[in-house]
This record gives sequence, structure tokens and C-alpha cells, in this order.
Amino acid sequence: MREIIRHTPGKIFLGILFLSIAGMLFVTRYFPHKVVVFGWMTLPLVSGLVFVFVWLVAYLIYFFKFWPYK
Amino acid sequence: MVVLILALFGLAILVMASYGYKISAKTAEDYMLAGRTIGVVVMFFFILFAVSSSWTFYGYPGYLYLHGPTYIYFIWGSVAGFAALYMFLGPRLWAVARLNRYLSPVEVLAERYESPLLRLILSLMLLAFIVPYVGIQPLGVGLGFQALTGLPVIVGAIYTVALLVILVILGGMRIVAWVNIFLGIVYATALLGSLIWVVQKFLPGGLPEAAQTLMQTNPELLSAPGPLGRFTPAIIGGTMVVGLLAFSWPHIVIGVMTARDKVLFKWFPLLIFIFGGIFFYTLPFIWGSLVAPAVMPGVTGKEAADSIIQTIITKFLPNWFSVYVLMGVIAAAVSTAAVQLLTSSILVSRDLVQGIFKPDASDRQIIRWARFSLIGVVLLSLGVSIWNPMAMALYLTDVTIPGFAQWGPALVGGLLWKRGTRQGAIVGTLAGLVYLIAGLIYKPLFFDLHPIMPTIIVNLVLYVIVSFLTPPPSEEVQAKFFDEVEEFLAAG
Repeated sequence: MREIIRHTPGKIFLGILFLSIAGMLFVTRYFPHKVVVFGWMTLPLVSGLVFVFVWLVAYLIYFFKFWPYK
Repeated sequence: MVVLILALFGLAILVMASYGYKISAKTAEDYMLAGRTIGVVVMFFFILFAVSSSWTFYGYPGYLYLHGPTYIYFIWGSVAGFAALYMFLGPRLWAVARLNRYLSPVEVLAERYESPLLRLILSLMLLAFIVPYVGIQPLGVGLGFQALTGLPVIVGAIYTVALLVILVILGGMRIVAWVNIFLGIVYATALLGSLIWVVQKFLPGGLPEAAQTLMQTNPELLSAPGPLGRFTPAIIGGTMVVGLLAFSWPHIVIGVMTARDKVLFKWFPLLIFIFGGIFFYTLPFIWGSLVAPAVMPGVTGKEAADSIIQTIITKFLPNWFSVYVLMGVIAAAVSTAAVQLLTSSILVSRDLVQGIFKPDASDRQIIRWARFSLIGVVLLSLGVSIWNPMAMALYLTDVTIPGFAQWGPALVGGLLWKRGTRQGAIVGTLAGLVYLIAGLIYKPLFFDLHPIMPTIIVNLVLYVIVSFLTPPPSEEVQAKFFDEVEEFLAAG
């Protein structure tokens, strides 16, 4: 992680991960709504899938393009 | 018939363990860390199914069944926590262990902080929290065994313990990792197969029909705070934080040290995100939060909810498939308990016996100690679980996971922060541990929070403050744990 915070892409990468965690905590205020997406996906499932997708994309870009030890 | 199938299943595991014994190099490094030769695919199965215990079949869907879908935040936190371990801590832990031939993560921290006392504290603390966890697994299988065959719980528990002991004694880490592929496939197909079969049989409209049924009969099961009002935004957030701290589970941390090369750390998170987060862990979620309450509503007791999937399968699917699912549960239990057992035996043999009491022990002696200790650990675990099974369920969520987290600040600081000191690590760890024990005895000390939250904050704050107030680590340590590691990782 020390190598990640030493350069700008790493800082952006960590910032995105941090913001996604904050976003996960923020969206909990909508969970009392009885909404299902695509007919069956509850909001905690949808928010988590989006969260994992954000981490996946950020990781792919950073680790395959910018990670100093790649 | 059931007994015959389970005997063949056990035999298959024993054959693999024997093969592992035959090909092993008979060195401590080979026995404890698979000779540091595990590649990315084996590592994925190894770690995913070391994490996925019988809890993913009983406790997790049972909790969703009673409380609604928001408990999945623990899984989202865990996925991020495991990925963070491999992205942020893994390369450094792996490199420093490889460069200096360290065999245990506690050994790494003892050398990093130049403290045999810390080694003793961490070893005893982790053992205290991991031992009862090991015992829960065979007992869980025993209950499934009883439900299917009518045999007493102890029969299934002894069957599982026998498999575990032989697998770990003969095979060591290498074969435990390889057998986890076999066990993982059995478990994943049992979970997925049963889900597809039940949906096809009872919900011709698929998952939307299940959601529609719940919307009409029990809509609280589709939203927060859930039917019992438990999941407020604060609790949901706390649940995710508990999951994020999964990076500190010792039996997962030690897996990092078995990696073949640093390329693994580049690829591993991909599998964690796609196959772990998006695919595997959504199966018990769909089972527990949608399908089970739609197919079999009205179950209210915690124990009945815990076995809801098994009850549905046993009641509505053919007997042969119930046996296959039980094999899957055994696979889940064995794949987790074997890694925990091996980790415990490494803590005893490498960190306590060789690290503290007998520094001149040879490789053969350490392996022998590891094998003796694992028999002791498994018997102790089982004894504690049988003696007080109800307390064990609480022990897992309220004690084991907060207990594992208490070495988190020392672990992260030791690998990433040059200024972290021995005194800071000892004071922080002991303070967090004492606070945890005191809070478990007198609950108001936790201020209505999950035990992990206040204890880890106290631990972390004291670690940082005491580190700043005490002299920095020696230059030799800083060179060994930071400069040399960075040079090694940066070199091709």
C-alpha cells in the first residue's frame, strides 16, 4: 500500500475505494423502501453489486496499468 | 446407502491426503506453507472455501430468513476486506516472509517489532479465539448427519474430526489447499443445484415470483430494518465494518504466505470480486432472503431458521440429493476447519514451542509438534463445543471475529508504517483484548455497538499514540521490513 499512495493514480484508486464505502453507508437510508429491481433484486443486493463492480473496475485499471509491482 | 456414500466420500479425501504425504518434501516450510508454491487458481479455491464454512449453509441464510436482506452488508464488507488483504498487505507480507524464511505471520510481527513477548501474546490470543471456531464445524455436520440419518450428533462430528485430523496430519498446507478445490466444487454445486431445483419445482415464475410472494405476504423481508426491526442504518454500517475487518482472520492471512510469486497478488482480487462477490455469495443470499421464505414461510425460531435450507431440501427433494447436499456441508466444514486447524498447529509449534521455548528445534521436531498439537486442538475444540453449544454460536459472532480483529492494527502498522513500535503494538493489542473481555462480561461497556467497534478504536488509537511516544524501530528493522521488501517487489 505504501507504493500505492506514492503516486497520483494510486491516490485516485484509493479515493475511489474510500468513496464507494462511504456511498454504501449513505444509501442505507433508502433501504426502508420496498423496491425490487428486475423484479427480484432487493436494494441491499443491488447496492452491493454496484459496490463490487466499482472495486472491480478500479482494481483492473490500477493493478493492470499503474501498479508499480506489476 | 447414506453411510456407504459418505464412507466413499471420506475415502476420496483420505486418498488425496495420502498422496499429499507421499509427494511432500517433509520440511517445515513444505508442511506449513506448501513450500510457498500455491498459484492463483488453487489459492482462490483455498481461500474462498477456507472462508466459506458450514455457516454459509446454516447461519447466513437462516439470519437472512429472519431479518431480511440487509445482513448481506457483512458479505460486501468481507469481499472488500479479503481483496484489500491481497491488494494492500499481501505483497509485503509475502515478500518479507519469503526473503527471511518466516513460516508464520505472528513470527513476522515478532521479528518486525523485535518482541518475543508480542509473539507470545498474539499466539495465545489467536489460539484462544480460533479453537472454539474449529469445534463448531464438526458439530454443524453432526446436526446435518442426525437430520438425514437419525444417528446421534456425535457420530457425524467424529466422522468429520477423523477426516480433518488425517487430512491435516498427512497432507499439511499443500494438500489442504488442493483438497479445497474438490471440496469447494462439491459444496458450490450442492448449493447451486439445490437452489435451481427448488426454484424450478416451486416457483415457475422464477425469482420474481418469490419476490412477488414476499411482497404480498411479508414485505418487511424485502427491506430494512427487517421483520424484527434490527437493521437500522447504524447497525447496517457496523455490519459492513465488521466484514471489512475480515482481512485480519489469521487462517486467511497465513494463506498469503503460501503464494508462489507476486503475480498472484495482481490476479487474485479479480477472482474474489467476480466469483466470490458477484457469484458464490449471492447463492446463499438468494436462498435465505427470497426462496426459503417464499417456499416455506412461518419459521420463527433461530435454530429452525438456521436449518431452513436443509429442511426444504430434505422435505421436497429426493433422498439421494439430500445426501449430496450433506456431502457439500461436510465439504464446507472440512475445508474451513482444516485451514484453521493447520493455522492453530503452526501457532503452537512455530511460534510457541520453537519461538519461545525451544529455539533450536529442528524441522522434524517442529512438524512433529505441529501434528501433536493439532490433535490436541481438535479434541479441545470439540470438547468445548459439545460442552456448551449454545454459547458457541454467540462466541463466533461476538467473540471470535472481534478477537481476530485485535491483531489488525499491529499487523497493518507492522507492514505499512515504519514508525509503529513494539510498545505501541503490545499496549494497543492488550488494551483491545482486555476491553473486549471486560465488555463481554459487562455489556454496557460496548455502548450498544458491536464488540468490534469500540475495542478496535481503542486498540488503534493506543497503538498510534504509544508508537509516537516511544523510540522508533531500529534502522536494521526498517531496512529489513521496508527497504529490502520494496527493492524485492520492484525487481522483475
